[in-house]
Amino acid sequence: MSTSKYSYYVEEKALEVEDRPRKFLEAFATVLEHGSYGLAMDVYTRLSTKCSRCAAACQLYQTTQEDRDIPCRRSELLFTVYRRYFTRAGIARARIFGGFTLTDEYIDEMAEEFYRCTACRRCKLTCPMGVDHGLVTHLARWLLAEVEAIPKALLVSVREQLEGESGNTSAIPVVALRDTCEFLEEEFEEEYGVTGIKFPIDVEDSEFVFFPAVSDYLLEPDTLMGNAAVMHVTGGSWTIGTNNFDGINYGLFYSDRMMERIVKNEVEELRRLKGKKILVGECGHATRSAWFVDTFCGEEAPEVVNCLQYAHQQWKAGKIPIDESKKIKEKVTYHDPCNIARAGKITEEPRELLKAICEDFVEMTPNRTENYCCGGGGGTVSIDEIRDFRTKKMGKRKADQIRATGAELVVSPCANCKKQLKEVCEDNGLESVQVVGLHDLLLKVIDFEAAGVEKFESSGDDDDWQPPAEN
Amino acid sequence: MESWLEWARGPAFIFAFSFMVIGLVRHVLLTVSQMVRTMRRAGDKNLNYGSLIVSTLKWLFPVTKMKDQLLFSLTSLVFHVAVILVPVFLAGHIALWERSLGLSWPALPNATADLLTIIAVISAVALVVERAFARASRSLSRFQDYALPLLVALPFASGFLAMHPAMNPFPYEATMLFHVMSANILFILVPLTKLSHMAMIPGVQFVSEVAWHWPPDAGSRLAVTLGKENEKI
Repeated sequence: MSTSKYSYYVEEKALEVEDRPRKFLEAFATVLEHGSYGLAMDVYTRLSTKCSRCAAACQLYQTTQEDRDIPCRRSELLFTVYRRYFTRAGIARARIFGGFTLTDEYIDEMAEEFYRCTACRRCKLTCPMGVDHGLVTHLARWLLAEVEAIPKALLVSVREQLEGESGNTSAIPVVALRDTCEFLEEEFEEEYGVTGIKFPIDVEDSEFVFFPAVSDYLLEPDTLMGNAAVMHVTGGSWTIGTNNFDGINYGLFYSDRMMERIVKNEVEELRRLKGKKILVGECGHATRSAWFVDTFCGEEAPEVVNCLQYAHQQWKAGKIPIDESKKIKEKVTYHDPCNIARAGKITEEPRELLKAICEDFVEMTPNRTENYCCGGGGGTVSIDEIRDFRTKKMGKRKADQIRATGAELVVSPCANCKKQLKEVCEDNGLESVQVVGLHDLLLKVIDFEAAGVEKFESSGDDDDWQPPAEN
Repeated sequence: MESWLEWARGPAFIFAFSFMVIGLVRHVLLTVSQMVRTMRRAGDKNLNYGSLIVSTLKWLFPVTKMKDQLLFSLTSLVFHVAVILVPVFLAGHIALWERSLGLSWPALPNATADLLTIIAVISAVALVVERAFARASRSLSRFQDYALPLLVALPFASGFLAMHPAMNPFPYEATMLFHVMSANILFILVPLTKLSHMAMIPGVQFVSEVAWHWPPDAGSRLAVTLGKENEKI
């Protein structure tokens, strides 16, 4: 059952919660006691200067020009609650003068507003007081989740992942996973004329255990084939675990409590398979949430490697031969996924790879740490009912940026960004633009012969087989 | 009037100035100790000090941060330079410190100090005007956001008049009393308002980073405290 109390659907049970203000404040008090947010809330509520520089940085405000979309104004919603209930001055002032009281309506307002922010953290770069509005959104959504104000789309995914039979957000059963992997292995033979490239399943003692966004198995076969091809030609030791093959972590978008459980499950699968490192597929938030493994698992935490870092390192070492004749001829641009680029963690690796495999690579501006969000960040891409908001308001700036480059291909190594960017292009008159992953392109240009990959000999009944078309 | 001035310059100043210093030191110590405690509890104890120091320095000397809102940013930069330099490096102020505590340091030439004082007053007013005329900042602004810059301008304007009797329509002692008392009020307000950023600003980049460093089990502890550990999603 669901209902459209907000601009997104929530479950019926969200309407049945009684005494929400008290429960919200209890959750807030508990989070402040056990978590690390008290420090930031203390400093932010004291120093926030209301200078509005963040408004200029926000792609949503640039488009809507609505006061409600100024990051500092949104954060002030939570600051007001914090000041009133958790600072001595606020408590004293309320005793003497009355004033603000947390109400049901106020919680509804927060539930609406904090999902108009993708937590891309671009505004943080422009705040003189260092206020991280992405952190405030992150915290506010967790508190809202404790009173069940959670978009249904996020909730049902996490439920399936943590409590469902399949154990992953796309509800893919293990048989289907095996089928898909076998099918993709055959695709190498049919499309690329090579054989022997495997998707190793449940291989113990591998160096890497692979966690892509599980939706890639349904939507992005070329990305996965690119991953497998890179692992094969570089001789990488990797495996996919049947107990857990989903890197998606919507906990990052609405609840640290869920995030902790999902990250620990990844590590559990790694331990079961006696693997050494977590290899994350092309997915921004999966990577950022996996980086929190040090937080949740302390000194025992395994290393986390993003597939871009791996591919880049191997390419630099000369282990990924590129067929010069197959280099991508279309004009290509690169969209930085916020979750790996904002803090400057992964920005150069994909660019160096793209420049090596594309004949015509152009940057969009701004880029790297100052990129604009695709418009579907913070899990909002999964909320289908707000598509108009996502693509025409939140994503409009991105559409303008892509249009300005004149690129035919937009590369983004992130499952969420890819889905969102496809919709942004559709809804903003950019139908001719194609959105692809970086490994999709790598797959096309790898020189399998030079890499020594065994050629596929057709058994004879495949007379209609054609070699892959050159670009 | 003279005895009032003596009081304002003596006990009132000592109280207000100490209130500011002690208040700011308290803020800084509490914040630092909370940062240390947070990092001690955190599962991930790594902080990228290099990049944090770089971004802190970029904000302390914000020449690279001007591009987004050029006019507002420039006004703010000029304002800050003036309000920091003049009170600390004015020859008249240094003479007072020397007389009472025997401390002394190089002073700004009086003409430069005069110019900076005028800049401080004009830019303070400009900040308020720009705040009121730009839609985004107007919609965010509280009373204190307008009041504080104007309050900061008062000791500068009155100080300038006191230094230039020829331009001053008011009696000298009244001007001086106003100058000292407006500054005293400001000192009291510093630790109580957003003006406390004067001491906290070198730490804010660290605060925002440390806040992402959580205890390993904060989530499960919350579940236990709220009685939700066995609750279905």
